[in-house]
Amino acid sequence: MSKSQTPAKRKGPPRPTTARSNPAGFAISLFLHLGLVAATWFTWNRMLDSSQESHAVPVELVVAEQTNVQAEAPPPDPDLVIKPSQSIDEPPPLPQFVDLEPAPLPPIPQFKIVTPKTDLDQPDRPKTKKQIVQEADAVLNKILAQAAAPKNAKAGPRVIQGAGNQSLATADLADALKSQIYRCWNPPVGAPNPNDLVVDYTVQLRVDGTVMGQPQLSGNSALGQGNPYTRAAAEAASRAIYQCAPYNLPARRYSDWHEIILRFDPREMMGR
Amino acid sequence: MRKFLLPLVALAALFATPALAALQVDVTQGNAQPLPIAIPDFVTTDPVGANIASVVRADLERSGLFKPVDPRAFVDKVTNINVVPNFANWRVISAQGLVTGDVVQQPDGRLRVDFRLWDVYGESQMLGQQFFTQPANWRRIAHLVSDAIYERITGEKGYFDTRIVFISETGPATRRVKRLAVMDEDGANPIFLTRGDYMVLTPRFNPTAQMIAYMSYIGAKPRVYLFDLETGKQEVLGNFPNMTFSPRFSPDGNKLALSLENNGNSDIFVMDLRSRQVTRLTSDPAIDTAPSFSPDGRQITFESDRGGSQQIYIMNVDGSNQRRVSFGSGRNGTPVWSPRGDLIAFTKQDGGRFDIGVMRVDGSGERLISSGWEDEGPTWAPNGRVLMFTRSIQGGRGAQIWSVDVTGRNERRVMTPGDASDPAWSPLIQ
Repeated sequence: MSKSQTPAKRKGPPRPTTARSNPAGFAISLFLHLGLVAATWFTWNRMLDSSQESHAVPVELVVAEQTNVQAEAPPPDPDLVIKPSQSIDEPPPLPQFVDLEPAPLPPIPQFKIVTPKTDLDQPDRPKTKKQIVQEADAVLNKILAQAAAPKNAKAGPRVIQGAGNQSLATADLADALKSQIYRCWNPPVGAPNPNDLVVDYTVQLRVDGTVMGQPQLSGNSALGQGNPYTRAAAEAASRAIYQCAPYNLPARRYSDWHEIILRFDPREMMGR
Repeated sequence: MRKFLLPLVALAALFATPALAALQVDVTQGNAQPLPIAIPDFVTTDPVGANIASVVRADLERSGLFKPVDPRAFVDKVTNINVVPNFANWRVISAQGLVTGDVVQQPDGRLRVDFRLWDVYGESQMLGQQFFTQPANWRRIAHLVSDAIYERITGEKGYFDTRIVFISETGPATRRVKRLAVMDEDGANPIFLTRGDYMVLTPRFNPTAQMIAYMSYIGAKPRVYLFDLETGKQEVLGNFPNMTFSPRFSPDGNKLALSLENNGNSDIFVMDLRSRQVTRLTSDPAIDTAPSFSPDGRQITFESDRGGSQQIYIMNVDGSNQRRVSFGSGRNGTPVWSPRGDLIAFTKQDGGRFDIGVMRVDGSGERLISSGWEDEGPTWAPNGRVLMFTRSIQGGRGAQIWSVDVTGRNERRVMTPGDASDPAWSPLIQ
């Protein structure tokens, strides 16, 4: 069946494929092409004209790295804008400013002077068992109290325990430095993780107590510079170092304090 | 001989002082005072230069963390912000920070605002930024400058370029007119959003600060509505048979938690704002209300009296694992999760007083941070550092909005035209 249909198609009249065989068709085609070109030209001109008449919409560009200023919100209904003169009979009272509580001062050391008792004038009498026990207790109490020494040990435990035998000799210098620098130190205490705020600085001092060169961040704090809280804490500590200089320290012991490592640790202030 | 030498060497080692070792000092106490900072008027021929500096000074002072130096004390005048200042002149007035800025009118009518933040003691620039804006936007530019300075010096995000939605209250106590209103964080630009012919309560911002959910008594039927700040359009949220109240958006803005009342009992539901599908989260016969999402959107804190008195609970966002977290004295309600995630603020009723408190999310470390007679309804600044709340004046003499630092310091009134209550802090404006 398919064979019979194929020859039938071949037998049909040849289709006109070019204008050469039909001059009238060529003229119509030429006319239509010219019409198309004219219409395109006309439309193009109109588009250019209309673009000049359109309203330019101003766009607010913000170049600053952190800014995000938008176009203004539509103006509010004038009836809805609060006019203070309409809604209040008397001017609002000024805000009450509450003074900040001063930071607690470090405890003043209380030195207890013990005068040894001499029993030389009294005749020797044999001690009772109770007296012996009491005396032994008293001696033990005194030894234990001295060992703990919480009131007099104003220097931090790190000074006493951490830095070896030099600390005992220089504990008074550490105390002197701390008492001078604490009033200049205003740490940012808002960090969620207080450990981010502990920073160490190595500082070179001149013999007149002024700061020599730049204080250098050291220890872990130097690694945490990408953390904005640590950076803020480091800058607060740096300001304190500069602001409280020159430091009043004994010049004859300059070799002990020509270089200091300051650890700024606000965790106690934050109660954590 | 060696017999003598060994102990001698040991003794010498024991007493040898490392002469070159650095002295180590632990500084654990500081002086928590506001940071003195000098902010001269921005250099320009236009009054806007003085206006911007004035708003920046007010913003930073209000935070309680800065103390702008009185410009009358300045001994130096900034005429060009592109030269390094003479720091000694700013140290003599005890300024630790210095902000210099200028405002330049652009040919297209816009303003270019530049500013630099200097470390006076370190003698270095800490920050420099430039903004372009229409002149009418100068207040927002000032707030953006304040935010940048605050963030650079404290390490925390600022909160000055934000808005507050609140309830404006006028009229006598018997016929109180309550209207929805918004204002800038510093109290500027207060605008009414509703006309006051129906009561409105508990407005809350969505995370883009363009949408407000609130409860209204339109048609004497209390229901939760949405208000679009861009278009001014309002719509009732969902076709609930009974009263809906206490709405709060999820951190991604796609969901809204709310309470639905039914025969005297209320439970917490969450609605997907895109599909409007509603899911029940609690089904306790007690009153469950005041839901607030955690910043990661995984948990919800709410108040419930299922244990006999009003207390604070936490559950997963699907309603599972409901557990009580407040065990302090009195009744505790209106919990709001800090945007930082570390704390929950709440209202404590105890001994006839209402106080604002904060606690860790496990209920530990409870602290009261306000000092009024009736303080309630806390809302967090987007940085989780400051709170606002409603303070009722004793004797029914009106309501005010107050703010306080999360440490309990720097409590001060937020100035509003007339009485105001129920504040909700927006996120940073995008």
